[in-house]
Amino acid sequence: MDLKTSLQVSASGLRAQSLRMRIIAENLANADSVSRTAGGDPYRRRLPSFKSEVDRSSGAAGVAIATIEADKSAFQRVYQPGSPAADATGYVKKPNVNALVEAADMKAAQRSYEANLSAIEAAKSLTMRTIDLLK
Amino acid sequence: MSIGAFDAVSAYGRVLGATRTPKIAETEAAPETGGSFGGMIEKLVSETATSLRSAETASAKQVAGKGDLIDVVTAVGAAETALDTVVAVRDRMVNAYSEIMRMQI
Repeated sequence: MDLKTSLQVSASGLRAQSLRMRIIAENLANADSVSRTAGGDPYRRRLPSFKSEVDRSSGAAGVAIATIEADKSAFQRVYQPGSPAADATGYVKKPNVNALVEAADMKAAQRSYEANLSAIEAAKSLTMRTIDLLK
Repeated sequence: MSIGAFDAVSAYGRVLGATRTPKIAETEAAPETGGSFGGMIEKLVSETATSLRSAETASAKQVAGKGDLIDVVTAVGAAETALDTVVAVRDRMVNAYSEIMRMQI
């Protein structure tokens, strides 16, 4: 039944968006994580990428996280000579996490999750109303 | 998903199986055309039982802290749909039966 398949597709969307939400949380939580060694690299921002995934039994295209890649943009450098992570010149590399960008990403993930929830609700109510025809 | 509901469904399936057997013997002379209504119901009930069982497994896993919430939601949703279908078909059938019983001869 197609409505049942659409439930599964929406569920794959929920799964993908919750994983994306987890990665955003990791980025935000590690926004101040510096290197443990002097002059080393701090936490690098992680970026999920999505891919379409066709379910063989139903032929429906769900979504899944393809890869979680590291953001290659440059780190910020802050002058903190007293820090254990500072290099020879006294600069500490800070993670390339921008809280504003993460907040925007979080909103996008939230909206997408809500859209999938609405699709599930709609498919469920259609199924129930179809069954009600029998009563 | 309560176990009581599942028991009721399987009991219903057993009763259907019991009432179906003499019917087949009765119509033995006539060639069988297509699947019987009893067979259809039996299939429906066994499918429902399977989805109820998987919903129960998913819920138990979630309670134990090992499951995925989305899995629980989809499994319970599928079980609910299946059970509602069976109940609707049964109500319809019982209604038809009682209508025949009320018929004046």
